[in-house]
Parts: sequence; C-alpha cells; structure tokens
Amino acid sequence: MSSQLGERDGSGLRVIEPKLMPPRVHPGMLRRRRLLELLDGDGGASLTVLNAAVGYGKTTLARSWCTQRPEAVIWLTLDAADDDPVRLWTHLATAVDRLGDGLGRRALACLAIRGARVETAVDELMNGLVAYGRPATIVLDDLHAVRSVAAVRSIGHAIERLPASARVLASTRSDPPIGLARLRARRALVEIRARELAFTAEEARELLAREGIELSSESIELLVERTEGWPAGLYLAALWLRDLDDPTAGVQVFAGSARHVGDYLTDEVLTALPPQTRDFLLRTSVLGRFTPDLCDAVLGRADSAAALAELARSNMFLVALDARGDWYRYHRLFGEVLQLELGQDAAPELRRRAADWCRAQGLVEDAIEYAAAAGDAEMVAELLIEHHLEFIWGGRLGQFVGWVRWLPAELLVQQPLLPAAGAAAAALLARPEVEVQRLLAVADRARRERPQLWSPYVEAAVEVTRSEVIERGDVGGAVEHGRRALAAARAGADVLTVGVLASLSQALFFAGDLDQTRRTAMEAVQQPDAPDVPDGYVGGLGLLALVDVEQGRVENAEAWARQAIRFARQRFQADSWVASLAHLALAQACAATGRLDEAEREAVRGERLRRSPQPTVGHAHALLVLARVRVARSRFARAAGDLDRAQRAIAEFPDPGRLPALAATLEREIAIARSSVGQRRSIEQPSPAELAVLRGLAAGLTRREIGDQLYISLNTVKTHVRELYRKLGASSQAEAVARADALGLLEPRKSPG
Amino acid sequence: MSSQPYRLVVKGELGARYASAFEGMAISAHDGVTEITGRIIDPSHLQGLLERIAGLGLTLHSLAPVDAEDPARPRTRPPATRSERPSC
Repeated sequence: MSSQLGERDGSGLRVIEPKLMPPRVHPGMLRRRRLLELLDGDGGASLTVLNAAVGYGKTTLARSWCTQRPEAVIWLTLDAADDDPVRLWTHLATAVDRLGDGLGRRALACLAIRGARVETAVDELMNGLVAYGRPATIVLDDLHAVRSVAAVRSIGHAIERLPASARVLASTRSDPPIGLARLRARRALVEIRARELAFTAEEARELLAREGIELSSESIELLVERTEGWPAGLYLAALWLRDLDDPTAGVQVFAGSARHVGDYLTDEVLTALPPQTRDFLLRTSVLGRFTPDLCDAVLGRADSAAALAELARSNMFLVALDARGDWYRYHRLFGEVLQLELGQDAAPELRRRAADWCRAQGLVEDAIEYAAAAGDAEMVAELLIEHHLEFIWGGRLGQFVGWVRWLPAELLVQQPLLPAAGAAAAALLARPEVEVQRLLAVADRARRERPQLWSPYVEAAVEVTRSEVIERGDVGGAVEHGRRALAAARAGADVLTVGVLASLSQALFFAGDLDQTRRTAMEAVQQPDAPDVPDGYVGGLGLLALVDVEQGRVENAEAWARQAIRFARQRFQADSWVASLAHLALAQACAATGRLDEAEREAVRGERLRRSPQPTVGHAHALLVLARVRVARSRFARAAGDLDRAQRAIAEFPDPGRLPALAATLEREIAIARSSVGQRRSIEQPSPAELAVLRGLAAGLTRREIGDQLYISLNTVKTHVRELYRKLGASSQAEAVARADALGLLEPRKSPG
Repeated sequence: MSSQPYRLVVKGELGARYASAFEGMAISAHDGVTEITGRIIDPSHLQGLLERIAGLGLTLHSLAPVDAEDPARPRTRPPATRSERPSC
C-alpha cells in the first residue's frame, strides 16, 4: 500500500484505443450520395449534427463521409463514462496529439493536473488545432451518451472556440444542450435529422440489390412503408430476405403483420442463424467492445477470432473497429436486442468473466464497468482502491466520485479509504457541500466501526477535506482540522503533506496568525515534491506573498507573488482559485509602491478567481483587498460597495477569523479618506443638472449620448461639462470623474452636500 | 415524488422477449401498439424507461399518468377509446 502512495501519474488509466477507432465500412453498406452531398455542401458550418433515433445509420453515414475526406479525421465514440470531462478530453487531446508535433501535449499536461479547469485544457487543445494549420474534422459519435453539465459545457466551449480550419460532426439521439439555437442563427450549424436519414425507395432498392434480392417496385415500396424508411429495419430485412426462396411472399407477410418492425425482423434473422452462431452472438452481446481474446475468455473457447471474422464479413450488425480484427462491437440496436434474448440469468457470470479478463489486461475502467454491470460491488471497490491514486492524481476525479457514490454505504464502511478519497475528490471538484459531508459521514462511521482499518493516510484525507469544506465559514474549525491532517500526514502520508500544509497555512492566515502562516507555507513550498502538487505549491507561494506584504516586506512579497503566478501559468492553475492569493498579494504590493492601475487590475483578477456559488471566507477576504486598493485610488464609492458585500458575507460566517477586524479598519480608512478629501478641497456644489451630466460621464457615455438621455442639446451638455471642470478643479474628464467619486458625488440617491 | 402509475404506449406489437426489458412493468401488445404500464417511482426511473425505449429502437407514442384512484381499471384493456391513441 505505502509503495503505491508515491506514484502520481495516471498511467493505469490509459486511453481506451477502440474509442478512437472509426468503425470499418462494410462492403454491404450503401454509399448514400444525397446525404454525403448534404454533408459536403456546407463547408462554412463549424458543427454538423446527425440527429435521429437508433438505427438511422448515423454512424455509418459519418464513417462513409470521413473515408472520402481529404483532411485529417479524429474519431471519438462517446460513452456514459465521458460524463467526466477529463476522460473525454484526454481522449480527444490524445487524438489531436497524434496528428503530429505534440499538438495535444499542453492540453494533456493540463488534464493530468487534478483540479485544473477543463476549459483551460480545451483552450490549449484549440491552440493545438490552430498550430496544426490544416483542416481537421472531429467526429463525436454517440454524443447523447454524455449528459453531465460539466462535460456538455466543455463541448459547447470547444465549439465556440473551434478554429475556422476545423469542424465537428456529431451523431446523437437527442439535441445536445450546447447552444444549437445560437449556432443555427449564425448559420454555423447543419442538421441532418430522421426525415433526411430515412431510406428512399430508390436507396432501398439499391441496398437489396447488393444482397442479390430482386423485388418489384410495389414490394419495395411496401417494405419502405412498413419500415418507414428506418435504415436498421431495411438492413435487417435484407439479411432476412436474402435467404428466402420467395422474398416477395415474405414481404407480403411482413407488411400484413402488426408486430414491431425491429422485433419481427430480428426474430426472423436470429431464427435463421445456425445454433452455434446464435449462441455466440447472444453470449457476447454483454460485451460493449471486444477482442477475440475477450470472447474466448468469456465463452471458454479458443476460436472466437474466426467466428468474428466470419460474422463481420456476412453481417452488418457486427462492426469491426480496426483492420487487424482486434476490436469489434455490435451495432447498438442489435446488441440491445441480443441481450434481451440472452435473458438476465446468464449475463452476470459472463460479465464477471469479462471483468476478470480486463483486470488481467490492465484495462482498469472496463474491468470496473463490467464488475459493476455484474453487480459485483466488492470487485468494483477492490479496483478503485488499487487504482485510486491514478484516478485522483491523474485528474479523473469525476469518474472516481461517481463510482464511490455507486457503491453501497455498507461496503464503503468496510473500506474507509474510499469514502475518504471520494470526499477529497468531491471537494476538489467543488461539488455541493452536502455531497462532501455525506461521504465524510460515511468515513466517520468507518472510523468508529472499523478502527483497525483507519490509517494516517485516510485520517489526513478526511481532515484536510473537512478543513477545506469548513473553511467556507469556520476559520477556527479549519485550523483545527488542518492541524489534525498535518499530524496524520507526518505520521504516514507523505504524498498529502504539501497539500495539507498549504491548506493549513491558509486557515492560519484567515485566523490572523501571520507568523505561523509564514512558517507553514514555507514548509509547504520547501517540500522536495512541492512542484508536483501544483495547487499546493501555488497556494503556498501566494500565502508567503500575502504575509510578506502585510508585514511590510513588499519586495519579497512581489517576488513570491510573481513566482506563483508564473508557475500557475505553466502548470495550468492560472484560472484556478489558488492563483487568486498571489494576485491579491501582488495587488497590495503594487498599491504600496504607487502602481495603482496595476494594483486594481490584480485585485480585480484575484477577486474574480475567488468567486464561488457559496460565500467563502476566501472570497470575503478578496473583496476586502479589492476595496483597500480602490481606497488607494480614491474610488470610495466602489470601495464602499466591495466592503459592503464582504461585510454581508462575514455576518453569515460562524467564525470569520480576522476578517471583521480587517473590515472595521477598512471602514474607518474609507471614512477618514473621504473626509480628508472633502476638507482638502471645499468645492462649489454642482447643480442637479450638472450632476446628471457627471453621472453620464462616469458611466462612459459620450456627450451626445448624455444629451439624448437627458433631453438637452449637445451644446448644453458641453456647457455643463465646462462648469463641472471648473467647480471640481479638473482638467480632464477622467480627473473630474475621479474627483467626483472621491467626494462621494457619484453615489446614487444621495443628495450631495 | 411518490410513486405514480404510468402508461407508456410504443408503436408496434412487441414479442415476449421485451418483457425483461421493462422490469417491474406489465407489457401488453395489441392493435398495433404495445402498452407498458406500472408504477414509476421517480423522475430517474422514468428517464431510464425512456432511454430503454430509445435504445431498443422503439417509438414512443404516448406517455401519461393513469388514474391511481381507479384500481379496477385492468392494465390490459385495449386502448381504443383513449385519447392518446395514435391517429394513424
């Protein structure tokens, strides 16, 4: 166990190669010229969506279109596990990387960092496509399989930023919520739906002729009418009719039946198969994608390769994914129907064998999926424990949390590591606090019921998570849990030390113990492995900068802050909240040395990065820093607004640490600064009309716009402006606005004077 | 959400093998449609059924809660008089 704790790469979770393999084109498949022309026709569209129910030939069409394209094609078959956007984009970035020149390398590096924003990786990948310079098409097959908000949002983000040289072709059973209406309005979207995808009588004739079936026009029309042009129905009909002595009679009987099209035809096709072929199909139908070896392992035979090659040749419901005959899958619809026919009794044992095989092959995710489908929760738990570091340090937090939540609580209590690591991962993903608390509660139960399984590692993970979740409002609690986490980490969880130290030093900072903050943060950044924990390292440097700037070591502070920001940019933490600490410190350092514009920019950035759905101590602190910088710029009205927001949040926290004191100091400073500005220059009061013009100027309106808004002429506006300059002693618009702000003249609904 | 009896109608008459596709629901095929009836416990249950229907290439014709106050209504009664009956 402890030997694994040092490993931090996600090597156990490799790219699942068959997901990147475009299915082979079967010679029996129709080249549907009218649809291919539709796809070719709109070169300007960044997104093409094939949207129809199962069996409408979406994948087949996408595939046959790709074979005739001159540009590079990236193919990804999506599945439910791509709800974790890190998994989804790891596959796409790998495919882009294979176009050459390490085009996906930066995106992959970003994805491998736990807690980095997926959108940052997507941006990096789009840069990779720009650098590629040549046209590329990305096919997202089975897009409907992805449903999580995070994954869908990341796809929408990518489509918005797709370079002109690239386009996306997506197949889906339902409209994806990625802003289709907007794309439609910009004519950036081509949609091909069931109406277009349905077979015409002419296409049906061509399809049947390929299988050597000659039917009259009447029979063909009857067939198309009965199937409503549903391609899967017509393919199945072709398979069935080619073995009939009298296909015309067959069509008559089929047309007269009230049975469901797919049900009728699969019945006919399955009945006609030799028993051993039928048995092979049924028993392998529980496999999502498979190799001959996997089939052999599941069926206990040794000749699956030959059986699969024969099936792939003669039928279209077995899809070959590569030319070598390594990977296959069933057509989705046929696979579903085969599983029904197999029945529920036989499936679990077959899936368990598949799980064993995948586990032995190192196909971790597939092994977990099969074990879960077989209902073997113990095996899922074992695999998660074995590979939890790869999931967590490899960035696959969403997937990990999903599996942990799938496991029954009774089992989680037996394995305290799982709820502990699950809670830590959920906290890193900023999942709702109740979700984190629920997993922590399971961990607490495990501690009570299975104390012998409780390790320092589990203790450190639970306590650091508790410290970070509680930090939202209870600074004292955060310090206490952070200290416990540190004691546990020192006792035997080296891998967590950097993160725990960074967490604790932040809690100490909010508690107001600056010397301890400094010592703890210093220890964090001096750990030999600190740079391998980018969030902890960036956070630690930021805290050193914050302490130094408060204690007057401005140059030191600026150096720490710039180092943190530089490192954050290199390691994709620039858009993450941990970078905000450094920006806030830099803002104060700039303010202390008179660089007020830069100070405000940095403070604004620091505050923005710290925003979150729930109020946090960290965000309230960021607002206070922003307010202080704005006081230095004499922007009193805005400073008072920031202070007010911070104070409202602080009032809700059970233990806001030093924040009330910081807020009170700032409040006094604002009052004093305002009155001193007022005393320094006792001015002639602007008239109400002049004040109205002044507010327009402050809002950035042109003089003409101000005139339009106030129903006065441009000349009158100019007269008011001249008077304002005189009364405020200003020589420019910016100066007039700044001075008016300092005097509190811009505050709404407050009569001046 | 407390469980509520629902009736889903899909196009085409389905054979016996489909019974296992909708566990816990009663299946009855007649007059060119198949009725799937039973209690639906929450929105995810319903969503799962709809995805199952889509995954099997079935076309949903109608979906409606049935009157829980009328336990006497037999599940297998032909739907010919009901308003959601397809008009094809």
